[in-house]
Amino acid sequence: MTRRLFADFALALALLLAAELAVRLFLPHDVSGRFSYGYDQEAGFVESGETVHLVRAGGRRFHPQTFSRRRPPDTVRIMVVGDSVPRGPNLGAAYPGQLQEILRAQGIKAEVINLAIPGFGVRRSQLIVKKILAYEPSLVIVHVNDSNEYEDEREYRRSQEFQGWHPRHWLMKSYILARAYEIKTEKLQWRLLPEKIRQQNMASDADAELQAGLDENLHRLWQQRVWEITQQTVALIRARAVDVILVTQASWQPTGPGQGHLHDHGLEALGQSLAGPGVQIVAMTKVFADLKPRSDYFADSAHLTPAGHQRLAAALAAVIQERGQRTSQGANASRGSPP
Amino acid sequence: MSFLSWQFPFFLSVFVLLYWRLPHRWRLWFLLLGSYTFYGFWDVRFLALVMTTTVVDYLCALGLAGEKCRPLPVLALVFLPLGWLLTLALTRPHLGISPGMLAAAGLATVLFWGGYTVLWRLPEPTRRRGFLLLSLVFCLAILGFFKYCNFFLESTAAALTWLGLQPDWPTLQIILPVGISFYTFQSLGYVIDVYRRQGPVCRDLLVFAVFDAYFPQMVAGPIERGRTLIPQLSSPRQFQAADLHEGLVRILVGFFKKVYVADNCALLANYVFAPATPLNAPWALLGGLAFAFQIYGDFSGYTDIARGSAKLLGVELVHNFHFPYLARNPSDFWSRWHISLSSWFRDYVYISLGGNRGTAGQTARNLLVTMLLAGLWHGAAWTFVIWGAYHGVLLLLYRFGPLTWLNRKDYASLPASLLACTLMFSLTVIGWAMFRSPTLGHFWSWLMALGNWETVTLPWRSSLWWLLLHVAPLLALQGLTWNRADETKLLDLPWPARGVLYVVLIVLVVSSTAQDQEFIYFQF
Repeated sequence: MTRRLFADFALALALLLAAELAVRLFLPHDVSGRFSYGYDQEAGFVESGETVHLVRAGGRRFHPQTFSRRRPPDTVRIMVVGDSVPRGPNLGAAYPGQLQEILRAQGIKAEVINLAIPGFGVRRSQLIVKKILAYEPSLVIVHVNDSNEYEDEREYRRSQEFQGWHPRHWLMKSYILARAYEIKTEKLQWRLLPEKIRQQNMASDADAELQAGLDENLHRLWQQRVWEITQQTVALIRARAVDVILVTQASWQPTGPGQGHLHDHGLEALGQSLAGPGVQIVAMTKVFADLKPRSDYFADSAHLTPAGHQRLAAALAAVIQERGQRTSQGANASRGSPP
Repeated sequence: MSFLSWQFPFFLSVFVLLYWRLPHRWRLWFLLLGSYTFYGFWDVRFLALVMTTTVVDYLCALGLAGEKCRPLPVLALVFLPLGWLLTLALTRPHLGISPGMLAAAGLATVLFWGGYTVLWRLPEPTRRRGFLLLSLVFCLAILGFFKYCNFFLESTAAALTWLGLQPDWPTLQIILPVGISFYTFQSLGYVIDVYRRQGPVCRDLLVFAVFDAYFPQMVAGPIERGRTLIPQLSSPRQFQAADLHEGLVRILVGFFKKVYVADNCALLANYVFAPATPLNAPWALLGGLAFAFQIYGDFSGYTDIARGSAKLLGVELVHNFHFPYLARNPSDFWSRWHISLSSWFRDYVYISLGGNRGTAGQTARNLLVTMLLAGLWHGAAWTFVIWGAYHGVLLLLYRFGPLTWLNRKDYASLPASLLACTLMFSLTVIGWAMFRSPTLGHFWSWLMALGNWETVTLPWRSSLWWLLLHVAPLLALQGLTWNRADETKLLDLPWPARGVLYVVLIVLVVSSTAQDQEFIYFQF
């Protein structure tokens, strides 16, 4: 009698379990990737045999790209890590893509892989660096920006929600329920509501970010974290004897109609403090020092136009050339060592 | 502890498991401990008020039955709330229990003790009235102070200012104890029943203490009657698998109503009823409809969780909602909405005032007074009073005025039935706008906006989809049970359909978009 009475609950449980099993059996990459929110080193990398596919990571997408696990002979493999600025509007227009074109035009057999993901701060960028060092890069370009720390923090908290063993997170151990919860936290239905109502309910991430950005103490903490983690990231790369170029972000700050200046929140100073053997700096404040109309190079305060990407790519190519990174050198160098 | 907190499922699961393993008497102690813990999660200080209500009404009810207790146990009981406050003051100084609070509690204790002692020296009929009065005065004084003190001070100040005087008194910083209106009314109902000899007197203090603080329904109802809940608590109960099943279904439906329906509708309602929002007719209608479904989902959702939780413990709480928006007239509405409160007011206020036994004028007066008080019960604000009056007037219009023809239980044709439902629903939404508006001025703006079809900057069409997205599943669910006595009675469906339905409900609850919001009725 009792067994028949609870047949409905048993069915509900069975359906949820079946869905859970099906997803875990047939969509293993999605399971590991979507809910890691950038705190899972494997997120976004799908390896099949000798080939690596870049897919999404934590609700954010890599530009879909494919490359071999091992660096091809005679090739300079450059990997670019960062946020929405190096990611660019598309693979070809972003400065990593432009850099590849310039190097190839100069006769260098270069392979530039764009591993930038929008909103990634230093912590999540570091995870990607840890992962890609296994793919034998000749050079890693780390785009350093300090405007994503709020999001990094928030995503970190979310990752804790999914990974923690606190009783309130137990439901998140289920893929199906966690996916449903993701719909809630990512607020996919929210597009039906006008922006004003979203803001009124303080549920807009951007709004909450703006509020957090007004906290000076929090800002100081974030900046400290950017310094510390960037140092660690550079040390990690150098420990594998791979060269690094740090691109320090600059933002356009308007001071009046049609006027303004570039500001880097001290990131260039951070870069200079790390410069040394195998570590070079490309500061956007210098690359765009003679900036005239902002709209030529900056699409908004931080993101670049295609012309801006091209200019930055040219500056990077010049630095790489100076270091004598030529195709032949790269090919002759031992694997994992600088070209 | 809120039903929405992550602790509640664990608390309830462990509680139910242990509860059924205990002997009957231990279960009662366990229930009392659990109920006080549940309430103490909000504010342990206010447990003193719960204890006061319990002690006062327990002793007064015994007094009404002519049963005099020995002085020493009575003295110990009377000083119990004060002792609790003293213990907290000494052990938890951060709670801020001031000497003034202790002095007030001490004074109340002495006054009650004095009153109780004096009453026993009076002859029988006077003594009975005296005990009833003592209970009413004490319980309503506590309720009045914590809930209405500032309202009356501010209203008096406003009236005096209007008369040209300049009153200068400060507003008191009073925290409204959660659920005070609910447990006070429940306890008072019991005392009145004993006075009227309509309910048995509870001689077991433990049972009565559990009755007053029964955690599933203590903070937001349903308001139980002593004659229905006390016998269930005092008699040993056997675990029934069917109770467990039914309880779980109720809880699931309750969470769906609250988290998926109410909290999402709240986003629109909060926008429309915010003071600075520019409104036109579509937005005013959207806001009114959103609030109608928010308050229904919120309160009936709470009730379902409460009834489900009680059912897990083998107790059947009363129905509190029965498809209220299918009501065809105001009288029908109040027999479907917050049934335990409307029947409380009917039995203890309306009938006490004379009910409909007198002339039409007297009946009208009784109706109006009852509805005004019912409005005031909801909160210390003029919008609630006016809302109560509005429903009083609606009752009169349907009873004596031009809408009498709609005041029928049976309707010959479907169109007539639909017309009656639509009209009553529209009137209800107008009432909810009154209820939800922060001020009467804002309600007036809302009402005027219904005639304004000019465009406002914010587009409303996608918000209508939002509303439909969150109301349609509720209507679909209710379509399955609309002809049942219990809104949550899904057991008539085939079990495979129920299984699939539970999965849908679980996913909707977990994926619900809105921010978690506290139950509306907690503030009452």
